[in-house]
Formats: sequence, C-alpha cells, structure tokens
Amino acid sequence: MTTSTTVARGEAGFEGSPEFTSGRRGFIVTTLRDQPQAIIGLMVVVMFILIAIFAPLIATYSIHAKTGPIYQAPSSTHWLGTDDGGVDMFSLLVYGSRVSLEVGFAAALVAMLIGGTVGVVSGFFGGWVDVLLMRITDIFLVIPDLPLIIVVAAIFGRHLINIIIIIGIIYWTSTARLVRAQVKSVRERVYVKRARSIGAGNRRLVVKHVLPQVAPLLIANTVLTIALAVFLETYITFLGLGDPSTVSWGKLIENSFLGNAVLNNAWWAIVPPGVAVTVVILACTMVGQSMEDALNPRLKVGHLAVRRFRLRPLHGQLDNE
Amino acid sequence: MQRSDYILKRTLFALMTVFVAVTLNFVLFRALPGDAVTGLKCHNCTIQFKEALRHDLGLDKSKWQQYVIYLKKLSHGDMGTTFIGNKPVRGELWEPIKKTLGMITLGTVFSIIFGVFTGVISAWRRGTVVDKTSVWTALAFYSVPTQWLGLMIVYFVADRVGLPHGGIQSPDYGILGNPGTFDFLVDRTAHMILPALTLGLVLYGDYTLIVRSAMLETLGEDYVLTARAKGMSNWAIVWKHGFRNAMLPVVTLIALSLGFIIGGAITIEYVFDYPGIGLAIVDAIDKRDYAFLQGAFLVLTLSVILFNFIADLLYFKLDPRVTT
Amino acid sequence: MSTQPVLKTNDLHVWFDLSGGRELHAVQGVSFELRAGERMGLVGESGCGKTTTILALMGLLPSSASVAGQVYLDGEDVLAKGEETVSPHRWRDIAMVFQGAMNAFNPVKTIGAQIAEPMELHGTASGRAARAQVRELLELVGISGERADRYPHEFSGGMRQRAAIALALACQPQVLLADEPTTALDVMVQAQILELLVRLTRDLGLSMILVTHDLPVVAQVCDRAAVMYAGEIVEMGNMSTIYHDPRHPYTRMLFAATPDLLGDEAVVSIPGAPPRLDHEIAGCPFTPRCDTAFSPCPTTHPRRLDVGSGHEARCHLNDHLVAERPA
Repeated sequence: MTTSTTVARGEAGFEGSPEFTSGRRGFIVTTLRDQPQAIIGLMVVVMFILIAIFAPLIATYSIHAKTGPIYQAPSSTHWLGTDDGGVDMFSLLVYGSRVSLEVGFAAALVAMLIGGTVGVVSGFFGGWVDVLLMRITDIFLVIPDLPLIIVVAAIFGRHLINIIIIIGIIYWTSTARLVRAQVKSVRERVYVKRARSIGAGNRRLVVKHVLPQVAPLLIANTVLTIALAVFLETYITFLGLGDPSTVSWGKLIENSFLGNAVLNNAWWAIVPPGVAVTVVILACTMVGQSMEDALNPRLKVGHLAVRRFRLRPLHGQLDNE
Repeated sequence: MQRSDYILKRTLFALMTVFVAVTLNFVLFRALPGDAVTGLKCHNCTIQFKEALRHDLGLDKSKWQQYVIYLKKLSHGDMGTTFIGNKPVRGELWEPIKKTLGMITLGTVFSIIFGVFTGVISAWRRGTVVDKTSVWTALAFYSVPTQWLGLMIVYFVADRVGLPHGGIQSPDYGILGNPGTFDFLVDRTAHMILPALTLGLVLYGDYTLIVRSAMLETLGEDYVLTARAKGMSNWAIVWKHGFRNAMLPVVTLIALSLGFIIGGAITIEYVFDYPGIGLAIVDAIDKRDYAFLQGAFLVLTLSVILFNFIADLLYFKLDPRVTT
Repeated sequence: MSTQPVLKTNDLHVWFDLSGGRELHAVQGVSFELRAGERMGLVGESGCGKTTTILALMGLLPSSASVAGQVYLDGEDVLAKGEETVSPHRWRDIAMVFQGAMNAFNPVKTIGAQIAEPMELHGTASGRAARAQVRELLELVGISGERADRYPHEFSGGMRQRAAIALALACQPQVLLADEPTTALDVMVQAQILELLVRLTRDLGLSMILVTHDLPVVAQVCDRAAVMYAGEIVEMGNMSTIYHDPRHPYTRMLFAATPDLLGDEAVVSIPGAPPRLDHEIAGCPFTPRCDTAFSPCPTTHPRRLDVGSGHEARCHLNDHLVAERPA
C-alpha cells in the first residue's frame, strides 16, 4: 500500500476496508453517514409510502364520484382542481400513489426474487448450471419488452397482478447478472472458510456466508429497480395496456391525454401526476445510487488539478536545529 | 486469436441472435388468441366459411408447419398481411418508419451532443456546483415519464414558440398554391422539432452520466498523472488523454442504446400525433392487429441486434488492445 | 563536483485533507540536497512519505494537499507560487520515471507518440525530428527503434520500464526521479534496469533520486541514501557510511533484516507497523518498534544531528545533550 493509496482512501473518507463483514446494519449506517442525499431520498419515499397507506384519511373526496365541475381549476374546495370527469384531482393523486407504489415495490420484489435466486444458484454452483442459466438470461434479454407486454395483456388480461409480474420478468436479468458476479467473487473467500470449518453443507454455506455478502448489493439494486418499475408502469398504462379498474399516476397521465387537458388548459390535470412520478423515481434513484456508491467507493484520486494544491506559510514548523 | 477472428465471431453471434429473435417473434405472436380470420367482419360468414378460409390461408396446419412457412416467407421478405385492411405488412411499415427516422435522428443527435458535452464538463469540474447541478438535472430528465414530458412541452412550450401541437403537416399547408421543397422541409421540420426535443431531453441524461463516469474513471488513471507530469495543461490532458480513452466505453454504450430508442419514440409519437412507426404500433395495439405488430416488432428487434453488432465493431476498431 | 546543488529542499511539509476536517501529515520537514551527477536513494516502508516527497518536487499533488517549505531547482524556489512556478519546470528540468509496469502509458496511443508528446509540447522537437529523437532514445535504453509505433500492451514489463525511462529523458532534464522503477519486475530484468539507470545518469550527467523500499537496490545504484520513516528523514549519508555505521536504529534494523545484500527479494520486515500520520505524534515515532529506545524517546522529538561528514541522523542516541542525562 503506497502513500497515494492512503491518500486516496483518505480523500474518499474511508478509514476502514470496504468489506462489509458487519453485514446489513453496518452497510446501511455507512451509506447514510457518507451520502447525505440518501437521507433526503429515503424521507421522500417514506413520505409517499405513508400517503399511500393513509390515503383514505388524506384524500378529500371519493375518487369514484363526480364531486365538482369538469376541469375546474384549483380552488379552496378542490386543491388540485378536477379532472375531465369532475373527480377531485388531489384525491386521485393520493389514491393513485397506492397503485403506483404497489406496482413499483411488488415488481421490484419479483425481479429481486427471481434475479437473486438465479444469480446465487448460477454463481455458486458454476459449471453447466451456470451456463444453462446464463443462456436463459440471454434469451430473456433478447425478447423485446413491448411485445411481451402486449402478448401477456392479450392472453392473460390486463390485471394489475399481471402487470406486476411482467415488469418483474423484464427486470430480473440485470439483477441476476449483478448477483452472479458478486457471488462468484465471494465464493472464493467462502471456500477458504469452508476449508477451515467442519462439515458445512452447501445450503449452510450459502445462507450464512454468501447471502450476507450479497445482500447489500441486492438491496441497492432492488431500490433502483423500484424506480424502473414505476417508470415502466406509467409507460404501460399510457399505451392502454394497464389495468382499467385501477387508478395509478400513470393512469392519471393517460386520462389527461385522452381527456384533452391541453386543449382545456387544465394544467392541474397534467402536472401533478407527472411530478409525483418523477419525484418518487428520483428519490429511489438517490437512495439506490447512494447505496451502490457506498459499496463501491471511488477510491481513485483524480489527477486533474482543477483546483490546485495549496501553499501554507511556515509558522513554527521549523525544527530546532 | 487474430483480430480478424473477432469480427467473424461477432458476425456469427449476430446472425444467431437474429435467428433466435425471428423464432421468438413467431412464438410470441402465435401464442395470441385470434388470427387473421377472427377479425374478419362479413355478414355472410358462417363458421364453416371461416374454417375454409383458415384452411386456404394455411392457418389450420400444425404450429411447426406454420413456423416453416413463416421462415420461408420471411426469406422472401414477405411479412404477411395486416388484420385490418388486409394490406401487406411490409408496405405498411415502410412509410411510418421513414417519418420516424427523421424525428429520431434529430432527437438522438441532440441528446448525444448535449449529453457528451455536459458529461465532460461535469467530470472536469468534479465536485463543483456545476457538476452537481448537471448531474441532478440529468437525473431529473431521465426520471421523467416520456409521455408526460411531451404533454408538458405541448402545453407550456408549443404555443410560446409558435410550433404546432402535433401531427406532421399543418392544416394550412399548401393553401397558397403548390408548396415547394423548401416549404415542405420547413413544415416537416416544424412538426419534428418538439417531438425530437422531447426525445432528446429524455435521452440525454443517460449519456451525461455515462460520459461523466467514464471520464472520471479515466482521469484517475496513472497515465493522466504522467501527462500532468509532462507539463500538459488541464485542457490538453482532458482532450488528448481523457476524452479519447473515456469515449471508448461511451461509444459502445451509445451504440447499444440506439437500438432501444424506439421505445421512447412510441409514446412521443402518440402524444404528438406524429404518424411514425410508434403511432402505428399504438394504433395496432388498440385494434388488435397482431399481424402488423409482429412485423413491426420484428423490424425493431432486428434493429437492436444490428446496433449491438455495430457497437461491437466500433469497440473493436477503437481499442487496439482487443484481440478476441 | 560543483558547489551549487542541482536540487535542494528545505523543510518540506505536505498535508492531505481527510474527511471530518482532519489532516494527514505525510511529509514532515524533509530537507536534503542533490548535487550534479549524484544518485541518491530514498528508502523506507510503504506509507513513509517517500513517494509524496518526490511528487511534491514536481508539484504533482492533488487539490486535497497543502504544501509548506521550499524546493530549489538550480537556485530557484519552484514552490513559491505553487502550480504557477512549478509547472514550467516539468519534464524540462526535472522528470519522473513512473512504474512503467503499471499504467504510466496510455493504452490507446503508441509508445512513440507518447514519448514525442513532451517534445512537441515544450518545443524541443517536432514532426520528423521528434520521431527521429524518439527512436534514438529508445535505442539508448535498449529498445529497437522500430518499436516506436507499437502500443504499450505489446511491450513486456521490462521493456515498458525502459520505455518509461526513455520518456523521462525526452526533454533532457537535469534531475531524474525514479519511483520504484524495479518493483513488479523479475530479478534479472531488475538488474538490467538498474544498470541502465546507472549508465545513463553517468553518461548524460544526470542527477537521480531513486525511491524504493528495496534496500539492495539502493545499495547497488546509489552514492547516497536517505532513510525515511513516518514522513521524516531519519538518517542520510553515503551508502558505505550508513551501512557500516548506521546511527539510527531503523537503518540498522533495515540492513539487518536484509538477508543477502545482493541477493533476491528483500522484503523489509521489522515487527510492528509504522504509525498513522493523522495526528501529532509525541516523541520519536519509531519508539514502539525500536530495540534501543530509552527515556527521552517517548516524549521528546529527536533533533536532526550531524554525526559525521555528510552524515546526519535523527535519534537521541546521537544527541550528547540527551544521552548524558540520567535515565
């Protein structure tokens, strides 16, 4: 280890080794400590989750009934105005959070479970299992998303659960690759430990040693997948392939389009759902990215001296000669 | 392995992927309920008539036989006929694709130029306000739902700059006699600008982050310290050692991403009522014209494979270290 | 030998910013002189500050660094205004041989182009003349001139190191700084590279500072050596003097730890580890690992003392003011 590495570590603010032997808890604390924007992101996400949970208490009107004139501008009674059916926009936005977040989290969970399992099995066992699973992954990568969505919608119907599953299927491959790479690198270390331990079976090995090393990365990746899932949901819904019985933010955007909000100068029907989606996606990205940064700190010093090294006037450093 | 072997390997791989894609295309769309005959509306149609028609069209053969027929037809360039209107799919695809290409090229060029520029500046001024603003703006545009951005632009920008809300031709086009080529170009461009701008804004963020990341990685390399030791100025280092090296992975990533731009274009064309392939696809989804969709998606998948292949070749050409 | 030293440092300090407002005091008051044609070794364990010292001589420190003290190149204080005053001297007066085995070379450019680069930058040669000079330089370091158009990955580790030396000589500097030039090379190649460095410095009249943790290397190549520990020079003098009469326990233990002076790899290993430099250390930093530490060591920082002609050491054992005090 040379001075420059010490310097680099120092610059990155790291005193310890990036290996997370303290497992999940240590990793989360480190993330929050070193990446303050993660806290903001987390707070935003939590806020939206709370809004979704307590929707009936927060919403001002029912979303299934016409409670005001069509396309009325925001007022003291309807904080965000009404849509093309006279339904209160604010309440729609609040209830919409439920579906959007539900799809986002559930789909990301599906991707995490499938991708995580495939990645762990593939990376741990190697050999023909690995090759087979990777070929399957490659096939899934080649399948274009939209046709798959169309086909599923046509055959299985446009139910929310199908949308969740299909989004999960679209995103599991990248998770699998990530996990596989991580497992492979951990595997070497694990086998060393195994050589010292007595009679530890494969399953024990995986659960006790591999999983804790893989978990932080998996969590970071899943958080980022949530952002992608929310994005994809708005896309699917906009093309008319969403669940017609539910209201998500994506549906609200679609409604504003189909209801000619632009021609009616009804900005309140267009702006809020998009802002909500963007904010949630940004927040999840902030948190996920911070986690990834905490796991792979940029240890390299930039050699480009945009700001110069500083000069310090000598004051009392002179040694007593 | 020789460098020429690399090209051979990649070509073979591309061709194999094409084959897989073509097969998957068949499988996916054959899995759907309904075929060309189901959608037929005729008041004399008895079930027997439809069955006879099916027999004529070869739709009652086994899936395997249909697959073979499908492959044969494809090799002749025959992509079947649409469910709606019974027109050859190939012909129906060409016009919209042309229109989309123009708009997409405009948007993509903008996004690449803007993305690379902001990425380099961000990396150069790492850690400063410029960097942070640039990164967060990029992230914000990247997170915005495409269709919503389109709607916002139509609502807030279109009228202010005097650009049309959508479509591809103004209602008063040619109203004052025969429009010349110039008028044609102006009108077309006017209709392309906002959709292209939307596309550009949605795409650029990704490039900013990729370029920034690649540049930072490069600027931390030892040879950059060597360059500084030689007495080179910051700007010379960034240009001669930083940029060239960082662009290596970036070029590949950009080429790879080009294949997927159509996805964003679909919603944009829908919002702007721009009659390109995207809008055609949305229409076909709505009308359940699976024959058309099959053809359209085959073309799209093939273009993704094509761009992947181009990306492989580019990387090979740019990096002297690649041997296999 | 001429009287004015080609390079002189006076009380050089370097600090690096750490997170949480703290600092790493990497170089603590380094002062030495280098005469024309002299080869000096800068020895020490990893992290002792030797690399940072020579980086500071060329002003190649990151923005997280602060520097104090003077560096005189031919009598001129090049650190007077920081980057402004030091950058004009880079490569023309003082150049560095980086560890060529690593990424000192840009992988996507030819070796020849990269050696010609400083020539064209500083206007010493351009175009065809530069290419000719590049070939000459390569021949000088033992590489066939026609390899100038090859890429770094096509060179072996030893050849890359030679190329790095050729690169350093591109603008005919007076001072050559060699940072671990033989680490990561096998023994046979090591010997060749060292021999090359000696020959070149002699033939071209260059001065050289050789930074390494490998004692036998220094013994082979250098006229003088400075031993660094915890950011300070703890002993400095002629090779034979410090070998036969080491006046600092660290120097003595270093030589003792080396099994065979001219043999295979001598990994310096003294029990214990160097101290962390992110806080002030009371007394002599070597105390915990020293086998002859006595009462003043933990509390009083040793002075820099003359212990012979051109021989200095920082150890209380040499300080008659201290040694005579009752224990």
